[in-house]
Amino acid sequence: MIAILVDGIVQGLQLSLMAVGITLIYGLGGVLNLAHGQFAVVGGIATALFVDKGLSPLVASSLGVLTAGVFGLVVDRTLLLPAYRSAGEERLLLGLLITLGLSFVVNGYLDFQYPNIALTLHLATPSVNVAGITVRTASAVTSLMAFLAFLLLFVFLKGTLLGKSVRSIIQNEVGAGLCGINPGRTRTLIVALSAMMAGLAGIAQGLFSSLGTEMGNELTTFALIVAVVGGVRSVNGTLVAGVLLGIVNAFASYYVGAYLTLIILLGTAVFTILLRPAGLFAYRT
Amino acid sequence: MNKNGYRADYVALLVVAVVLALVPVGVGGGSYYLRIATLMLIYMAYAVAFNIIFGHTRQLFLCFGALAGSSAYLSVILAKKLALSPWETIPLGILFAGLLGGAFSYVSVRRGLGVIFVGIVTLVFSMIFYNLILGLRELTNGETGLITKGLGAGVLEKARWSYYVILAVLMASLVLYHFLMRSRAGTAFRALTDDEFAAELVGIDVTLYKVLAASIGSALVGAVGAVYAYYSGFISPTVYSLVSVDIVVLVTLLLGGMGTLVGPVLGGVFFTVLDEIVRPLGRLNVLVYGVLMIVLFITFRHGLVAMLRKIGKLRIP
Repeated sequence: MIAILVDGIVQGLQLSLMAVGITLIYGLGGVLNLAHGQFAVVGGIATALFVDKGLSPLVASSLGVLTAGVFGLVVDRTLLLPAYRSAGEERLLLGLLITLGLSFVVNGYLDFQYPNIALTLHLATPSVNVAGITVRTASAVTSLMAFLAFLLLFVFLKGTLLGKSVRSIIQNEVGAGLCGINPGRTRTLIVALSAMMAGLAGIAQGLFSSLGTEMGNELTTFALIVAVVGGVRSVNGTLVAGVLLGIVNAFASYYVGAYLTLIILLGTAVFTILLRPAGLFAYRT
Repeated sequence: MNKNGYRADYVALLVVAVVLALVPVGVGGGSYYLRIATLMLIYMAYAVAFNIIFGHTRQLFLCFGALAGSSAYLSVILAKKLALSPWETIPLGILFAGLLGGAFSYVSVRRGLGVIFVGIVTLVFSMIFYNLILGLRELTNGETGLITKGLGAGVLEKARWSYYVILAVLMASLVLYHFLMRSRAGTAFRALTDDEFAAELVGIDVTLYKVLAASIGSALVGAVGAVYAYYSGFISPTVYSLVSVDIVVLVTLLLGGMGTLVGPVLGGVFFTVLDEIVRPLGRLNVLVYGVLMIVLFITFRHGLVAMLRKIGKLRIP
C-alpha cells in the first residue's frame, strides 16, 4: 500500500515538473506548448549522448538540462515570435500550430539522427531503506530533484522582484507593460526555465526505466492533463494536481490495469474542464 | 448577397466536379495513384465539415478521427453482430456522430469554454476513443483491426467506381455547405464568427447555431468515416487516430483557406501533392513535414483562396 503511494507521489512529482512548464508558458505567453514533451526528450537524449562521451552521469545530466534550456530559449526567440506578435485568439491558435509543427520536427529529427539511442541511468545502489519502507534510489533522487526545483521556483516567484514581474504578467500583460516590465524578456526566461524543468523530468524518466526518442507525445499528453486539472494558470494547482493524479495513476494501475487507468485519467481531465474550467484548486473570483 | 454572388458558387462547384471527375483519366490505370486520389477526396470532405465547425463557428474540434471512427466502428460492428446490411447501419453511425458532436458543442457553449478548452476536451475525447477501441478487443479486434467489404450492388467495390462514389459524397457535402451558407444559418454563422456577443445582442441564438454547425459537421464526418471504412476494406484505431485524420484535416483547411467554399478542395490538392513530394524521403519525412507545417502556418495562414483572390483579382467563393 505505502509502496504504491510512494510510487504515485514520485510519479506525480515528475508529472508536475513537466506540467508546471506548460502552465507557466500558457500563463505568461498565451501559448499552449504542444512540444513540451519534446523539450523533455531533448534534455534526456542530450544527457544520454553526454554519458556516451564518457562524462559522469551527474555532469551529463546538468549539461542535458542546460541543453533543454538553450533549446527552449532558441525556440522562444525564433519560432514563437510570430505568435507573440499577434493577440487574443489568433495567438492561441498560431502558438498551438507552431508548437505542433515543432513537435513533428523534433520527433522526425531525433528519429532520423539517433534512431537507437535511449537514456537509461543506473544508480549505484538500487534501493534504500527509509523508516521501514524500501524505496528505490531512483524514486528518492527524483523526489529530491523535484523538491529542489519546485523550492527554487517558488523562491523565485514569491521572493524576487523578477518573480513578482512574472506573476504580474500572468495577471495582466498590458498592465505589466505599463509598469515598465518587458514581457518579451521575462517570457524568454520563463520558457527557458520551463524547458529546463522538462529536461529534468526527462532525465527522471531515464532513472526509472528508459527514455526513448519517441516518448515526446506521450509526455506532452500527461503533462497537458495535469496542467488542465491543476488549472492552466496556477503553479500551486499544477503541483497538487500532479501529485494527486500520480497517486490515482499508481493505485489504478495496480488494481484495474493500465488501459482503464488511462481512461480514468483522461475522464478526470474532461470533467475538470467541464465542472471547474479554471482548475480544481482555482480561487473563485 | 445578389444573384451574381451565387453564380460564382455554381461555377466553382461545376469546375471542381469536372476537374475531379477527370482525375482518374489523368492518372491512367495505376491503382496506387487512384488510391491516393480517392484518399484526397476523403480528406477534402472532412475538411468541408471542419470548415463548417471551425471555419465558421470557431469551435476547435480535435476529435475528427474519433467522430469518424465512432461512426465507422458502430456501423461495421452492428452490421457484423446483428447481421444487418451496412445500408441500415451507416445512418445509425452518422446519427451517433452528429449527436456526439452536438453534445460536445452544447456543453462547451453552456460552460462558456474558450477555443483552447474546446480543443483540449475534444483532444482528450480522441485519446479516450483510441484507447477504448484498443481495449475493447472482443468487439474491435484491437490494433489488428476489422476487415470490411463493399456495400454490395457494386458500390465501393471496384477502385475506379469507388472514386466516383466518393466524389459524389464530396460534391454532396460541398452543395450542402453552399445551401447552409446561403440560408438563415449561414448569416448567423457569419455574424457570430465576427463577434459572438454582438450576434447575441441582435437576437441570434448563438447556442442554437453553434450546436447546429457542430451537429451537421459531425454528422458529415460520420458519413465520410463510414464510407471510408467500407471503401478501404480495413479499419483500425490507427486509421482514425489524431495524426492520421485531425492534423491532416487541419493543415488541409488552413492551406486552402478557412471559411471558403473551394478552400477545402484546393487545400486537399495542395496537401496531397506535398505529401507525395515528401514521401520518398523515408525517415526524414516527419522532419520535413514539420518544417513545412511551421513555415506554412507562419507565412501563409490565410490560405490559397485568399492568395488567389489577391493575385488574380478573382471572385473565388
